[in-house]
Amino acid sequence: MQRVKSFLIQVPLWLYFIISVYPLFWMISYSLKDNNEIFVTNPFGLPTQFRYENYINAWTQFNLPQYFMNSVVVSTVATLFIVILALMFSFAIARLRWRFREAVRLYMLVGMFMPLQVIMIPLAILVKDFHLANTYGALIIPYIVIGLPFSSLIFYGFMRDIPSEIEEAACMDGASVYRLFTNIIVPVVVPAIATVVIFQFLNNWNEFMLANILISDESMKTLPLGLLFFQGQYSTDWGGMGAVMTIASLPMVIIYLFFSEQVERAMTMGSAVKG
Amino acid sequence: MDRYLSNKKAILIFLLPALLAYTVVLISPVLQTMYRSFFEWDGLGTAVFNGLDNYKEMFQDPLLMTSLRNGFIFSVVLVVFQIGLGTILALACADPRVKFRKMLKTAYFVPVILSVTVVCQLWIAMYDPTNGLINKLFQIMGISYQQNWLTSPTVSIVAIAFVNAWQFMGYQFSLLYAGVKSIPEQYYEAATIDGCSKWMAHRKVTLPLMKETFKFCFIIAITSGIGAFVQMLIMTNGGPGTSNYTLTFMIYRYAFLENKYGYASAISVLLVAISLVATMIINKVFDRKDG
Repeated sequence: MQRVKSFLIQVPLWLYFIISVYPLFWMISYSLKDNNEIFVTNPFGLPTQFRYENYINAWTQFNLPQYFMNSVVVSTVATLFIVILALMFSFAIARLRWRFREAVRLYMLVGMFMPLQVIMIPLAILVKDFHLANTYGALIIPYIVIGLPFSSLIFYGFMRDIPSEIEEAACMDGASVYRLFTNIIVPVVVPAIATVVIFQFLNNWNEFMLANILISDESMKTLPLGLLFFQGQYSTDWGGMGAVMTIASLPMVIIYLFFSEQVERAMTMGSAVKG
Repeated sequence: MDRYLSNKKAILIFLLPALLAYTVVLISPVLQTMYRSFFEWDGLGTAVFNGLDNYKEMFQDPLLMTSLRNGFIFSVVLVVFQIGLGTILALACADPRVKFRKMLKTAYFVPVILSVTVVCQLWIAMYDPTNGLINKLFQIMGISYQQNWLTSPTVSIVAIAFVNAWQFMGYQFSLLYAGVKSIPEQYYEAATIDGCSKWMAHRKVTLPLMKETFKFCFIIAITSGIGAFVQMLIMTNGGPGTSNYTLTFMIYRYAFLENKYGYASAISVLLVAISLVATMIINKVFDRKDG
């Protein structure tokens, strides 16, 4: 009886396991097949003969390396600035003493509840007016700002929990406020920094909506945007399409498999702040 | 100490960069959108004040009803699939008899980190009427329910919503699982002593204690349903016809394809208002169950 029950509990879990993973397995396996095998002879299983040429074609014939490069630059720079600016901001509202810090904190909180669509139009105009269209800045600047509210609040939560004796000690030792920040506060919140880095990097890496509006130049496209245009070009070559998609996904999946626990913690932490 | 920590210059140095960037790039655009919604404006020339005309036009626009309906369908699919099924999976996964838990959790989460473009294109291939996985699978199982998943005006919105539901299931699942895990074991022991079955214990203990988690999950599911856009853009470009339009798709089309920036701004304002009202209602509903 116990064994039957235990089995019954596991059934939905394994069923959903298949639903979650099989589409990805299917994608990777068709990236190694030709059309005949995908459509007729072997649609569901592993490829009988690995056709690596799909990968070589995908990498050499299209702008895939360029898209990759753009995504790396945009995501890295934006994440770096988010961390620096949010650390500084939260230090000012969590540790320094002044009158309106609670009001400023609430002001920043508003940004977390604002649907991004609402700034789409003015942002497109702003980017055009500042001649940022089709530059890295067109994406990096909005991404930094969009990341600020969430990151600041995570840092704020961590910084507030640091005991105030730490400042007394720093003051006694004659450390300036700047040294207090760089040598004491920032090292203490390293776990929070790791969370924010993962969360923001993933967000920036996969952002599509704003990139779609702000970037039209082929050479500046990020990966999610660039991939969109394979659809038409590859409509008859499913293997090539599968290879492109697999190449685009594998780096993130591999990183995730190594750091899965940290990634999940980072992603779910938002709920603690927003809820 | 007080003098040390209220160094005015230091406060400004730490505060200003973030505050300025946030105000210029986020808050001021929000205010501009609200302001521009009262103008007729093509994004380039001078804006002409036209009062509430944009709003009047919006409520007569046949696309608005389509968009609201689709946002509603999208939200319902997300709630049922992610929160309904997600809760069942989270409860099952928390059972001590379950093995390979880490592997299951990892497998559920992988789609979350994939690019939305990849996921959409993968599902375009899966939905393909002749060569796609779904129809082939039905064929093998002898089910005659073959569909033109993405070209049917009635089925496609659900098919598209399902793609979003599938991709972000792992995210909602993690939240729900963390919620289940945060409940102290003693509560269940007490419930068992009182003669509760496992099922009863979950209904009387788990679900009420997870109120905060559910609140957050509902807010994510419903607001992302209302604002849905990317999946429609990639998978069917809002079509067939205009049958897959959502509010964001309307904003996108009027602003960037038809240069009606003022009108699109009014739709943005409506989108924010609906999202806020939905969030407030969810908060109210979950707080009332307290009593």
